[in-house]
Amino acid sequence: MRQPELDPLRALVQRDQDHECEGFGAARTCVRVVAVADLPTRFGHFRLVGFWNNRDAKEHVAMVHGEVVGGEEVPVRLHSECLTGDVMGSLRCDCRDQLTEGLAAIRRHERGVLLYLRQEGRGIGLINKIRAYALQEAGLDTVEANLALGFRDDERDYAVGAHMIHSLGIRSIRLITNNPNKVAQLTQHRVVVSDRIPHVIQPNEFNRFYLETKARKSGHYLEAGGAGRLQEQADPAVVAREAGQEPKA
Amino acid sequence: MTRREGSRVLVLGAGVAGLSCARALADAGRPVEVLERARGVGGRCATRRVEGQPVDFGVAFLHGRDPGFLAALAEVPARRLDGWPVAMLGAGRPCQPEAFTPGESRLAFAEGISAFPRHLAAGLPVTLRANAVAVEPEGAALRVRLEGGGAAEAPVVVLALAAEQAHELLGTVPGPPPAVASARALLDQARSQACLALIAVYPPEAQPPAWHCCYPDGSRVLQLAVHDSSKRAAPDATVLVLQAHPRWSREHLDDPAWPERLLEEGGRVVGPWAARPRHQEPHSWRHARHDRSAELAAPLLLGLPGGARLGLCGDRFAPGGGVEAAWRSGRALAHRILQEVP
Repeated sequence: MRQPELDPLRALVQRDQDHECEGFGAARTCVRVVAVADLPTRFGHFRLVGFWNNRDAKEHVAMVHGEVVGGEEVPVRLHSECLTGDVMGSLRCDCRDQLTEGLAAIRRHERGVLLYLRQEGRGIGLINKIRAYALQEAGLDTVEANLALGFRDDERDYAVGAHMIHSLGIRSIRLITNNPNKVAQLTQHRVVVSDRIPHVIQPNEFNRFYLETKARKSGHYLEAGGAGRLQEQADPAVVAREAGQEPKA
Repeated sequence: MTRREGSRVLVLGAGVAGLSCARALADAGRPVEVLERARGVGGRCATRRVEGQPVDFGVAFLHGRDPGFLAALAEVPARRLDGWPVAMLGAGRPCQPEAFTPGESRLAFAEGISAFPRHLAAGLPVTLRANAVAVEPEGAALRVRLEGGGAAEAPVVVLALAAEQAHELLGTVPGPPPAVASARALLDQARSQACLALIAVYPPEAQPPAWHCCYPDGSRVLQLAVHDSSKRAAPDATVLVLQAHPRWSREHLDDPAWPERLLEEGGRVVGPWAARPRHQEPHSWRHARHDRSAELAAPLLLGLPGGARLGLCGDRFAPGGGVEAAWRSGRALAHRILQEVP
């Protein structure tokens, strides 16, 4: 008699129940797949995969579209949690645009994964992020202050993301990013990056303000009502000039 | 004899942060000098003799888990009381709750807490009663003006002071350069907590309590009663140190009757005998500790226009708070200076 085939993502929970490896990165972080469920969203249907890690209480998750376990050349986007941008719609950063475009990009492919990493405010936490904003409002040179608040030049801990990719049984990825450094970082952690997909935000009625402001500024940072910005995501957004314009690498 | 090489570093403040910074620099062969406003080293790791008996009237005991910090404590030539405080009374919230979490080491010294800073300071050039009142760039160096005249100069100056004092001193830098303004704004985001502390010495007939530390759970006045004489090998007298809650301390800093009020509360919480010492000595810690919500990740090392460097360290400049954070921030700053300033 044929056994009904176990859902490959759910099988990972069983596989990982006693998983323990030497860990990734300086902190030797080890993660386990511990929970899987369907997540219908306004961006389409995803499966939400919850990860436990042995270093801190941060509950990282993956939003999975299509069959990815054992897959090759799976489109993958790494997104760092930003409460003010993702949830509150802050215009001090472009996190929400980056998130929604990331999800949309994944949906445009047959399959893909968005790793949602719980490192609020580039790892410094929400309160220190608010403090950093306050310093910016005073118009200050915040390089040293940011350092003290916990910002490093590039705070991202790709080790956790790499482990999550390995845990999902993904053999190789197409990384959705504008930041070649991300590719190098992941490669260091034995992730096979076969390709890079530029992360280009398509203009729409909701981010028109952003685009207009963007057009006036040469840099990546937008001035929202005079408020300063911190770049929350590790890669700056690239915005297509006209709707429907194809992204260029 | 080690030859001293590299830019000279002037450290303001001989608390644990300043001493740990100076110690690490000196051990790496850097010329270093420490200026301290008070008559002794140690800052809040404070011990004084009361009737010949050491009394810790600031930090009551040391705790931590950083291997480097624990190793530094292990080098102190004093009688260690490992695990102190062991006997606890009350369910109140300790000033640093993590002191009592698994994996944390606690200890005191029979000779007093100040054995630790005194050991850190051993062999370092420390000038006492030198109070810095202004810092001014002077070419590629910084000139530190002292109270009552006199000055000192160095290409690197470290402020190892309470956040409020560092804030005030940074305010004297003319200009001020953007990096200094930024650091001031950062320091200005949170205030230190105050602590009113009372040393109480009891008559011989007073029965010494069975506990080492008491964190009362029903008091808005008294945060901690320390049975200080239980740390001493053969105490002549029973000594308690009463520490008030931060809020109450702040509200009563200028109330001349605070010692009586604190004693009254001590009597209510600990027992009537505790309200009747035969001798008492008050001490107001205006900047006793920082609020944990204000803690920063790393010390600062500011670059000034002329090329001089201005460092800031202290218990607020490392995660975790307390003496351990102070020590770690000093070490971290020394490390940065060694890496970034030839």
